[in-house]
Amino acid sequence: MSKQYTAVNWNTPDNDYALMFWEQNIRQFWIDTEYIPSKDIDSWKGLSWEMKECYKKALGGLTLLDTLQSHTGMPKIIDHTESLQNKAVLSYMCMMEAIHAKSYSTIFTTVSTTNEINDIFGWVEQNKFLQFKASTIDSYYRILDKKNPTNEELFMTLAASVLLESFLFYSGFFLPLWLCGQGQMVASADIIKKIIADESIHGVFVGLMAQEVFKKIKNQEEVKQKFITLLNELYDNEMKYTEEIYTEVGLTAEVKEYVRYNGNKALMNLGFDPIFEVKQVNPIVLNGLNTETTQHDFFSKKSTNYEKSMEIVHLKDDDFKMDATVNV
Amino acid sequence: MVANEVAKNWILLNNEIMIKHDDEFSLHKDKEAVRAYFLEYVNKNTVFFYTLKEKIDYLIEQNYYINFYEWFTYEEMETVYNFVFAKKFRFASFMAAFKFFQSYALRDDSGEKFLERYEDRVVAVALFLARQEGVEKAIAYAELFINQEYQPATPTFLNAGKKRSGELVSCFLDEIGDNLNGIGYAVDSAMKLSSIGGGVSFNISKIRARGEAIKGVEGRAGGVLPIMKIMEDTFSYANQLGQRPGAGAVYLNIFHADIEEFLDCKKINVDEKVRIKSLSIGIIIPDKFMELAEKDEACYLIYPHTVMLEYGIPLDEMDMDKMYEELITNPNIKKKKINARHMLVKVAQTQKESGYPYIFYKENTNRAHALNGIGKVKFSNLCTEIMQVSEVSEINIYGEEDQIKYGISCNLGSLNIATVMDNKRVKESVKLAMRALTMVSDVTDIKMVPSIAKANKELHSVGLGAMNLHGYLAKSFIMYESEEALDFANAFFMMMNFYSLEASMEIARDRQRTFVGFEKSAYADGSYFNTYTERDYLPKTDKVKELFEGVHIPTIEDWEKLKAEVQEHGIYHAYRLAIAPNQSTSYIMNATASVMPIVDIIEVREYGDSTTYYPMPYLTNDNYFYFKSAYDMDQFKVLKLVSVIQRHIDQGVSTILHTNSKDNTRDLSRYYIYAHKLGLKSLYYTRTRKSSIEDCVSCSA
Repeated sequence: MSKQYTAVNWNTPDNDYALMFWEQNIRQFWIDTEYIPSKDIDSWKGLSWEMKECYKKALGGLTLLDTLQSHTGMPKIIDHTESLQNKAVLSYMCMMEAIHAKSYSTIFTTVSTTNEINDIFGWVEQNKFLQFKASTIDSYYRILDKKNPTNEELFMTLAASVLLESFLFYSGFFLPLWLCGQGQMVASADIIKKIIADESIHGVFVGLMAQEVFKKIKNQEEVKQKFITLLNELYDNEMKYTEEIYTEVGLTAEVKEYVRYNGNKALMNLGFDPIFEVKQVNPIVLNGLNTETTQHDFFSKKSTNYEKSMEIVHLKDDDFKMDATVNV
Repeated sequence: MVANEVAKNWILLNNEIMIKHDDEFSLHKDKEAVRAYFLEYVNKNTVFFYTLKEKIDYLIEQNYYINFYEWFTYEEMETVYNFVFAKKFRFASFMAAFKFFQSYALRDDSGEKFLERYEDRVVAVALFLARQEGVEKAIAYAELFINQEYQPATPTFLNAGKKRSGELVSCFLDEIGDNLNGIGYAVDSAMKLSSIGGGVSFNISKIRARGEAIKGVEGRAGGVLPIMKIMEDTFSYANQLGQRPGAGAVYLNIFHADIEEFLDCKKINVDEKVRIKSLSIGIIIPDKFMELAEKDEACYLIYPHTVMLEYGIPLDEMDMDKMYEELITNPNIKKKKINARHMLVKVAQTQKESGYPYIFYKENTNRAHALNGIGKVKFSNLCTEIMQVSEVSEINIYGEEDQIKYGISCNLGSLNIATVMDNKRVKESVKLAMRALTMVSDVTDIKMVPSIAKANKELHSVGLGAMNLHGYLAKSFIMYESEEALDFANAFFMMMNFYSLEASMEIARDRQRTFVGFEKSAYADGSYFNTYTERDYLPKTDKVKELFEGVHIPTIEDWEKLKAEVQEHGIYHAYRLAIAPNQSTSYIMNATASVMPIVDIIEVREYGDSTTYYPMPYLTNDNYFYFKSAYDMDQFKVLKLVSVIQRHIDQGVSTILHTNSKDNTRDLSRYYIYAHKLGLKSLYYTRTRKSSIEDCVSCSA
C-alpha cells in the first residue's frame, strides 16, 4: 500500500505541551531590524581594542552555532519527529534560528567595517575550537541522515541539540550581558536578550522530546554515559575556547564558571542531575539573563518585554456597562 | 589595558541584592554598594578644595557657575552652604547615589572629576532661584530641597546655577499646520527644541490624509506617516550634543482617516518605510467615538482636508458631538466606514505589542478645563500629563508676517508626599514649590520657537506634581487599592490644589499681573470653585485623619475665602498642577515614582546606559505586604484612585496600565472604557509583565 499522508490537526492535541510552546514561540516573535544597535556606536568606540576583538569573536562564534542549528540541526530533527504538531513547533524554531544568525550580523554591520566583518568570518572558519564544536554537534545531526535511526541515536541527536542550545551558546552570551550590565553596548544586548529568551525555550522543548525518547531506551545507563562523555568532551573544548577569546580581557575564570552553570542547566533540561560544581556566577550576567520583565525608560531604549498579541477578544455590550461611581 | 572595563565592585554589590538567603533578598548589600561607590569611586574622583571660598571662586572663575557674587556676598552664601551641610544628608540607596552622580553632579570639563556633591547642587539651585529675593529665600529653598520635600524636574535641577547650561524647561508641545510652511516650522522647531534636550509633542491631526488632494489634484497627499518619519529622524539627529537621545511624540485624532496606518506603524512586522521605532504615538479620543463604540453603531473615519475645504475649520477643532452627524451626511466629506469596537481592540492589540499608543480623552479633559473661554485642549505631551490650550500658528512665506499662536511650554517639579506629610509642611512646601516653578518660568525664553515663547510669556504655566504615593501609603500601613488610599488622595490633592491656587493668587497680587485671558477663565467667574464650595474634602476614615493630625485641612469656608481673593486679584498661572511620571528624580529622592504603584519589591531598571537594582523605599520585613506589585493589582482600582487624584489636578495625571501576558485585548479595552467613564483625561503607557519560561513549563506539567 502506498504511504498515507496526514494533515496536521491542531484540534486534537498530540501531547500536553506542543500548543503551549507554539504559542509562547509566536508571542516571542521578533526580527532584528526592530532594534536600534546604532545607538551603541559611541559605546563601541569607547571599548578597548581587546574588548572589541573579544566581542566580535563572541558574536562570530554565536553566528556559526545558530547557522548550524537552523541549516542542519532543526531540519534533521524535524525529519525524525513523529508528532506533526511538534514538527510545526520545530520548524518555527528553525526559522527563528535563521533570524538569530542574521541578527548578529545586524550588530556587526552597524558597528564594524566590512573588512573587520570579513576578518571575523574568516576567523570563525580557522578557529579549531569553534570548528570542533560545530563538527562534533554536526556529526550527531548527520546520524539522522539514515532512514530509521534507533532510539539511542535519536536521543543522542536531540541531546546534542540541547547541548548546543542550552550550553554551548553561553560562552558567547556572557560578554554582551556583562557589558550591558555596566551600561556598554546596551542596544545590541536587547537583541542578545531576545535570542536568549528564544534559545531557552528551544532548549526546554527539545529537552522534553529527548526525555520522551530516553524513556523508550532499554540500556539507559549506558546511553547516559555516552552522553556524559560527549558533554565532557565539549566541556573541555569550551574551556579552551573560553581561554582563547577571553584571556586578554581578564574574564576567563568568570566565563568558565558561567559555562559550568549552563552545563548544569542543559543537564536539567534533559532530566539529568547537575554534575558541575558551581560556586558564584557573576551576578551581573545572571541578572541580565533573567528574561522576566524589567523597567525601562521608553525614551532612551526599546523594551524587550512586548510580545506579539495572540488572543484577540472582541467587546460585547456588557463590557460597556460599568459602574464608575467613586464614593469618597 | 582594559582596567576601566573590569567589573566595578559597587555594581557587583548592587547586583548581589538579588541573591536570596533563606528566601530573603540581600538588602544590606545595597548599603555596602553605596559605601563602595563613595569610597572607591566618588571620593577618588572629586576635586578637593581647601576652603569653601576657594571652591566658589574656582567654579565661578572657571565658567562653571554663574557669578553668584552679583546677588550674594560670600558670607551669605556661606550661611546657605553651612545650613545644608549641617543636615548631614545621606543617600538612602545605591540607585539614588548612582543616579545623582551619573546624571546630575557637575563634572569638570574633562568629564572625569566631580565638582559637586548633592549638597552643592542643592545650594546652587537654591541660590539661582532666590537670586532676586535674597539669602532668606535661598535658605528656604535649600531647606525644601535638602529635606527632600520638593524636587525640581531634571532640566532645572541639572542646569540651574551653571554658566554653560541647557534650558531649565524641557517639555514642549505644538500644533502642525496642514501646509509645507507649517510642516517646515514644526520640523524646524522639533530640531531646535530637541537640541536643547526638550521632549516635544506634536498634534498631527490637521495634516491631510493619504490620498487626499493637493492643489485640487486627488490622490497626491502622502498622509501622516511620512511626516512622522521625518520627525523621528529629526529627533534622533538633534540630541543635545549627544548627551541624551531626542524624544518626541505625535498625536492623531481617532477620526482621522489615517488612524489605522498610524497604529500599524508600531507593529513588529511591518515595512521599514512605515515603521516608527523611537517616536512615541498617542491618539485623541473624543466622546463621540466612545459613544459609537458603546452603541455599536457604524463609525466613519474622516478625510480632514475635505472638512477644511467645506467648513474652513480643521476636523480636530470641531466638537464631534455636534458635528459628527453633519459630517457623515454631507456628501462633500470623504469618509470610510469602520467598526468602533474593532478599533478599540486594535488599539489594545497595538498596546500589547508595543506599549503604545497613549490615549487622550478630549472631552473629559475639556469638561474640567478652566480656560475654555480662551480655547480648547487638543492633545497632550510626551508623558500625557500636560494639558493646555493650543492653537496652530500660521506660518507664511518670507516677507509676509507669520501669525504666531499658542504652543505649549511647561516646567515641572514634584512634591515628595512622604516627607511633606511627615514634616507636616504640605502648605509651606506647595507654596515654596510654586515660587520656585514661577522663577523658572520667569527666566525662560525659548526665542528660537516663537509660539512656545509666547505661551510661556503670557500664560506662565507650570506643572507641580507629586511622587512617593505608594511609598507613603505602604509605610503608613495602607494598601494602595484600599478605601483609605482613596480617602488620603482626596484630601491630599485637594490641599495641593488649594495651596497652589493660593500661591498663584498671591504672586498675581504681588506682581499686579495675571496670566493673559484670566478674565475669560472659570477662575474669574468663580465656577471653577463650585466643586469645592458645595462639599468638603476632609478625610473620612480614622486612619487618614490620624495621618493629617496637627495639619489644617482647607474647609468650605477656606475655599469661599480663596474664591473671593482669586476673583479680586486673579491668578498668575494659567496652569498649575500636572502629575508627571518622574523617573530619575524619584530615585534621587528615594521615592516611589509619581502616584503609580510600584512594579516590584526590587525594581530592575534599564536605562540606555546602565542596569541597576533598586529596593523600594521604606521596605522592611514588617511592611513587606504593603509593597504589592502593580502587576498584581486590580487595574480598575488603580484607575479609580487616579480618578480621585484627577479631580484636583487642573492638567493631567500620567497613568500607566500594568498588564500581564495573559490579559487579552478585551481586558485592555475594558480599562479604556472604564478610564473614560471615570473621567480620566489620559492613559500613558501600557506595560506588560511577561510570563517566564518556568511558568510555562509548570503549567504544562
